[in-house]
Amino acid sequence: MDPPIQLLLIEDSRTDARLLRAFLSESTSSQFEITHVERLSEGMERLNSRHFDVVLSDLLLPDSQGFETFEWLEAHVHDVPIIVLSGSDDETLAIRAVREGAQDYLVKGRIDGHGLVRAIAYAIERHRVEQRLQESEKHYKFLLESITDYTYCVKLAEGTPGKTVHSPGCISITGYSSAEFDADSELWSRIVHEEDRKAVDEQTRKVLRGETPAPLEHRITHKNGQVRWVRHTIVPCRDRQGNLESYDGLIADITQRKKAEEDLISSEAFYHSLVENLPQNILRKDLNERFTFANQRFCMMLGKPLEDIIGKTDFDFFPPDLAEKYQRDDRYVIRTGQTFETVEENQAPNGEKIYVNVIKTPIYDAKGQIIGIQGIFWDISERKRFEERLQKANQELAASEAALRKSHEELKAAQLQLIQAEKMESIGTLAAGVAHEVKNPLAILMMGVNYLTKKLTSADDNIQQVLKEMREAIDRADSITRGLLDFSASRQLAVKRESLNVLIDETLRLVRHELSKKQIVVQKHFTERLPQVSVDKRQIQQVFVNVIVNAIHAMPEAGTLTVRTYTKRLTETSHFEGSRKATHFWIGEIAVVAEVEDTGTGIPEEHLAKIYDPFFTTKPTGVGTGLGLPVSRKIIELHGGSLDVRNIQGGGVRVTILLKAHRN
Amino acid sequence: MSKKRVLLVDDEKSFTNLLKLNLEDTGNYEVRVENWAEDALAATREFKPDIVLLDLIMPRLPGGNVAALIKEDPAIKDTPIIFLTAAVRKHQVEENDGIICDHPCLAKPATADMVIEMIEKHARK
Repeated sequence: MDPPIQLLLIEDSRTDARLLRAFLSESTSSQFEITHVERLSEGMERLNSRHFDVVLSDLLLPDSQGFETFEWLEAHVHDVPIIVLSGSDDETLAIRAVREGAQDYLVKGRIDGHGLVRAIAYAIERHRVEQRLQESEKHYKFLLESITDYTYCVKLAEGTPGKTVHSPGCISITGYSSAEFDADSELWSRIVHEEDRKAVDEQTRKVLRGETPAPLEHRITHKNGQVRWVRHTIVPCRDRQGNLESYDGLIADITQRKKAEEDLISSEAFYHSLVENLPQNILRKDLNERFTFANQRFCMMLGKPLEDIIGKTDFDFFPPDLAEKYQRDDRYVIRTGQTFETVEENQAPNGEKIYVNVIKTPIYDAKGQIIGIQGIFWDISERKRFEERLQKANQELAASEAALRKSHEELKAAQLQLIQAEKMESIGTLAAGVAHEVKNPLAILMMGVNYLTKKLTSADDNIQQVLKEMREAIDRADSITRGLLDFSASRQLAVKRESLNVLIDETLRLVRHELSKKQIVVQKHFTERLPQVSVDKRQIQQVFVNVIVNAIHAMPEAGTLTVRTYTKRLTETSHFEGSRKATHFWIGEIAVVAEVEDTGTGIPEEHLAKIYDPFFTTKPTGVGTGLGLPVSRKIIELHGGSLDVRNIQGGGVRVTILLKAHRN
Repeated sequence: MSKKRVLLVDDEKSFTNLLKLNLEDTGNYEVRVENWAEDALAATREFKPDIVLLDLIMPRLPGGNVAALIKEDPAIKDTPIIFLTAAVRKHQVEENDGIICDHPCLAKPATADMVIEMIEKHARK
């Protein structure tokens, strides 16, 4: 048995409701499940909350009267058949409702059980049919709209075209119905595109001549004004004698395909124009290294037309080693699927070196398989040459900057040297004057002290002590003035040929007491058969005394004094501060070198620049005058030599004295 | 034994005073002082010293010229002369056996003993 029919009863009269229930319960053919409400609003609520198979509604309700009750239901209830109940006095209203979409109407007081059930069953059934119809209509419409082909048939009457029948599908392609074509025999030829009309007419003429023309693609203008492409195939129908009876035309809408074709063509034109107009050489090869494409530029480069290139390999155009290299690069791309980019250095036919930037990429088929390579290359020689020039210019600039900096530094050194020299000269001149002027008062003091020493013999010991110290002070002052005079003297040198080894030995003897007192070990490394030097022996000895005494002072608690002599061929000239002559030696000249080293603490960095300044000393008063080193250097320079003082790494000081070897 | 006559020519008054005191203090010398070089020649003629101690660098007339003038005067040309000067250094004197410009030389500052030694060595006996 079918499931019970879900029925919504909207009826404010309980008597009527009870009666209707009674009728329905008596039905043997159908079962009903009745939901009863008394107001329209309640009915709407139920309808919104669940499904009903049918609605049975009175038109006169407490919250809605007359036709508007139906209107309300019709507007809000979908897919559920509605049956209206009316009193005998408002039957016209009910009829109107049926016209507007109600499935049926029942007049109260005229209803019997059988009629009610039948009305309900019919209402439900009718509603179902209506819905199916709507769906089928929708489906048909959809089909009609999606049809892209239609046929027409032309009957021939005595050899000339007669009546033409367009099948209904014509509407979806042309926008015009069969009826419209029937009514207007010129319609078809009017909608054929003006530019294609001649070809279409020719096609018709061919059929009439007994030929079977090839399908024709042409344009028509749709009823909505759009231009459409159709493929027009004509099939002739002949009788048994082979006479043309009629012909069928098949019109297929190919607008989409045409558009895709046009897009393809324009896209192809786009890429073609790119490939042929780019300033790059573009080529393609298959997996066997055969050219499958070359753009015009590449053809021109090879000096051959495209057809002479297709199918050939690099070995047909390039020297074997080059062709081998190209193919090696291709194989790399094919093997790895990677893009290959490089700058190749090639020799142009005229011998000029050219640079080429190359990019090779794999070509894939539709399945993603590599089927070849594409190469793009272009000449970057100009850029390369520019880069090289730029680099060279940069290097030159850097070099000239370095040279500039060097000469600037040399200038600075020379300036310093000059300043130092001027300083020394003026100090010298000043010192000479001062020394002389100081000596006279010293002589007076000496005489005074001598006198007092004799006269005060009977006095206490302190007086003698005071006088002794005064005498020593005079001696000290005298030795300073002597040093100043030595420093300033533009002396005459008593030059003789001397052996530096002998001279140093004698000097060491002079200071041997000092050395042994301080427990200083002397190490001599003399080179035998040292060339002789032309020197003023006394003065050079004074230099060595000064230098050795300085070394002794630097080692108050024992140490080693190393004295070394050797010869050296000069590889560079040297500058000496405090000298007006920038160089005394020439490159290649033989110098006799004496080195004196101590194992003391070295010269503090901040003092190094001052050690040649007169009166600069770190020794206690009375021990050093601050003139030893300046005077020594002056003496060596007067001999055309050089004196250099440096700290030894790890402690101690090395004094290096260079003298010219005697030349016969 | 008669005292040796010593003429001191030096523009430094204090020096001549003190040297004079030192020399006279020995009791062996009679000392005359001249502080102006131009007066030296006349003083030599008049004082007839056994030795002249002559400064080299003096205002207006250098000691060398004074010595030359003495040498030109036949009456006093044999008077021994010692240069006592700040213009030479001790070692220069030593290198030349104490002789500079034909005359013995003593560098200032010298002690009184050194001066006496020079006087005893070169003064007329």
